[in-house]
Amino acid sequence: MKKVFAILLACLMVLSLVACGNGKKAQGKVFNIYAWNEEFKGFFEKYYKVPEGVTVNWIINPSDNGVYQQKLDEALLNQANASADDKIDMFLAEADYIGKYVDSAYTMDITSFGFKNADTMYEYTIKAASDSKGVCKGVSFQCCPAAVIYRKSIAKDVLGTDVPEEVQAKIDTWEKFDDVAAQAKAKGYYMTASFAETFRAFSNNCTSPWVDANGNLQFDPQITAWMDQTEKYIKNGYTLTAGVWDAEKTNEMFKTGKTMCFFGPAWYYNFCMTNAMDPDNGCVGDWCIVKGPQAYFWGGTWLLAATGSDNTDMLKEIFETFTTNEDVVTKLVKDENQYPNNTKIAQKFADDKSYGNTAILDGQNDIAVFAELAKDIKWENHTNYDQLLNEGLQNKLQEFYNGSVDKDTAMKNFYQYVKETYPNIKLPQ
Amino acid sequence: MSKKKTEENGALKSVSYAKWGYIFIIPFFVVYIFFTLVPQFLTIYNSFFESYRIGLEQVGPNYVGLENYRTLFSADSDGIILVLKYTFNTMWLWILGAVPQFVIALLLAIFFTSYRLNIKGQGFFKTVIYMPNLIMAAAFSMLFFTLFSRVGPIQALLEEWGWIDASFDFFSKRVTVRGMIALMNFLMWFGNTTIVLMAGIMGIDQSLFESATIDGANSVQVFFRVTMPLLMPIFVYCLITAMIGGIQMFDVPQVLTNGKGVPNEMTRTLVMYLNGYLTNKNYGMAGAISVFIFVITGILSGFVYKRLSAPYKDKTRLHRRRKGDVI
Repeated sequence: MKKVFAILLACLMVLSLVACGNGKKAQGKVFNIYAWNEEFKGFFEKYYKVPEGVTVNWIINPSDNGVYQQKLDEALLNQANASADDKIDMFLAEADYIGKYVDSAYTMDITSFGFKNADTMYEYTIKAASDSKGVCKGVSFQCCPAAVIYRKSIAKDVLGTDVPEEVQAKIDTWEKFDDVAAQAKAKGYYMTASFAETFRAFSNNCTSPWVDANGNLQFDPQITAWMDQTEKYIKNGYTLTAGVWDAEKTNEMFKTGKTMCFFGPAWYYNFCMTNAMDPDNGCVGDWCIVKGPQAYFWGGTWLLAATGSDNTDMLKEIFETFTTNEDVVTKLVKDENQYPNNTKIAQKFADDKSYGNTAILDGQNDIAVFAELAKDIKWENHTNYDQLLNEGLQNKLQEFYNGSVDKDTAMKNFYQYVKETYPNIKLPQ
Repeated sequence: MSKKKTEENGALKSVSYAKWGYIFIIPFFVVYIFFTLVPQFLTIYNSFFESYRIGLEQVGPNYVGLENYRTLFSADSDGIILVLKYTFNTMWLWILGAVPQFVIALLLAIFFTSYRLNIKGQGFFKTVIYMPNLIMAAAFSMLFFTLFSRVGPIQALLEEWGWIDASFDFFSKRVTVRGMIALMNFLMWFGNTTIVLMAGIMGIDQSLFESATIDGANSVQVFFRVTMPLLMPIFVYCLITAMIGGIQMFDVPQVLTNGKGVPNEMTRTLVMYLNGYLTNKNYGMAGAISVFIFVITGILSGFVYKRLSAPYKDKTRLHRRRKGDVI
């Protein structure tokens, strides 16, 4: 009996060796993914079929206060010593800090495992995932042109119209936007529901990076414009003192909400607007999108290939599934309200007169609006410090906006925060 | 002959007991040396180096002497030395919670151990007052955050009663945020203190209470003249451990304010400050803060220990008092 078993085992081993020799490198049995939330995990489990015998581990840490980056950094620094099954195979990164990982030896060239960027991908998503020498290290499954998402019923009351073209004409510059805010206030509405709601519309149009080549912290005119606008909005009661992710803000999306405008890309629907989609208290169909005062983009999730991964076949498959597999990409748009990183599919939806978003909007073809906006997205002036500087500036200024401290103290606290977080950054005197 | 034998026996006994005693505490000391003492010296060592990470790149470690301490104790543009501000915050937060904690715990301990009150269902009460301590501090803070947030039930209730207006924000006022942190620390720790103090009181000879009563002492006199002096060693132990815990206060304010120490860093404690430096593994500055925390903990503990236990340790004073009693 024992002998038979031994022979069987030997056969199995030979077979598996032959299987290995048959083409490419042996593939690992464990696929480790680092992420900061469940968003991509949901799509992954729905649309990607994991090869038999492979276990997928999700290691999820929240992004707040840089926790995700800290945990990820620890794991990456230990990558060389980790056993094959403990090595990170793939990790997710956001626009605010992707550069830090792309420009390092911890991510690998996607062409090394045979993946080629498709022509259908948006140029900026490739640029963001490429290091200074132009070597691409990952892909994004979404493209994130962002818009103004407005409540039709409130727009009708304030502006006398809820037709996107007419609404757009009334808010196509910040001056006009401010005027509308005053009108909304007069009718008892808020223009936006968070002091930081318009932050990205300004910050992603910056013409200079947060930190210059000599390591000096600098405030771009767009950032100061946001600060001035927000100060005015708070003073006049056009907006609330809640942060972008706070419940106080998202409660404004219920039917009973009093807020006219929200700022976000396609992922914002699923991620921030669940209250609006609430079957009892929501207001599905009372929303439309327009470009707003300034075109911008916000966020985006990139999938990066970690150096040392022993599951390169799987990496290639995953990248393909979420960027070039037309079936999956179509479903991402249709069923998941995503804006895809695939110009061909996006254009198909944009041109399709019968397509309309009814999951949250009134049946407007939002892909057509986003497709126009996506053409203008440029990837420039980003630094590896963006996440913690953006987050820190908002946190410290929030205290000024809610009346706890004066502006000078808030700025002083922000500088102190920068000093603690990045000792190498030189502060303005 | 017989005398010699006894001596031998005695000597043998004491040697073997001592030996076993040492053998049994070896594991503790080994663990202590490797996991506490060595890291402690490493912390001090690290505080003399510039060592942090920018992204994935390590800066240093470069020897910088006392530079980290200089940075730590240098005043900002308003002449405020931040580390002292955070020390003040920490002590203030601890005192706000610890005063009620000890007063209530003492009262409860006395009620529960009083043979005259003879409270029924003690097991039940003891379990209930200990309960809050079983909840994770982080979970407890999350609970408070949810209760008191702008969209939480307390805000809604107080608005409905007309006690506060809609613009009120519990997290934008120094008093309310500090109050919440103190309340949480109090709720979490008073049960624990009660139980330790009860054990202390039960260790006191009951006949002392009885004889004091027979001598005509009222309960206040019994408390100050019998209970407190005899409870002092345990009380001082409780106070010092609570203070050390207080100086290291972190999880409650960190989670409640999401690491921001709102408003205006008034609830930022020393360890939260330290944690800020750990975002980028700044072991130099973090080490300097740790050394500072270690020093003030040592000084304060020594001070409390000296002040509170001295009168009861000083044999001559006791002797004098006894003499006075006779007269």
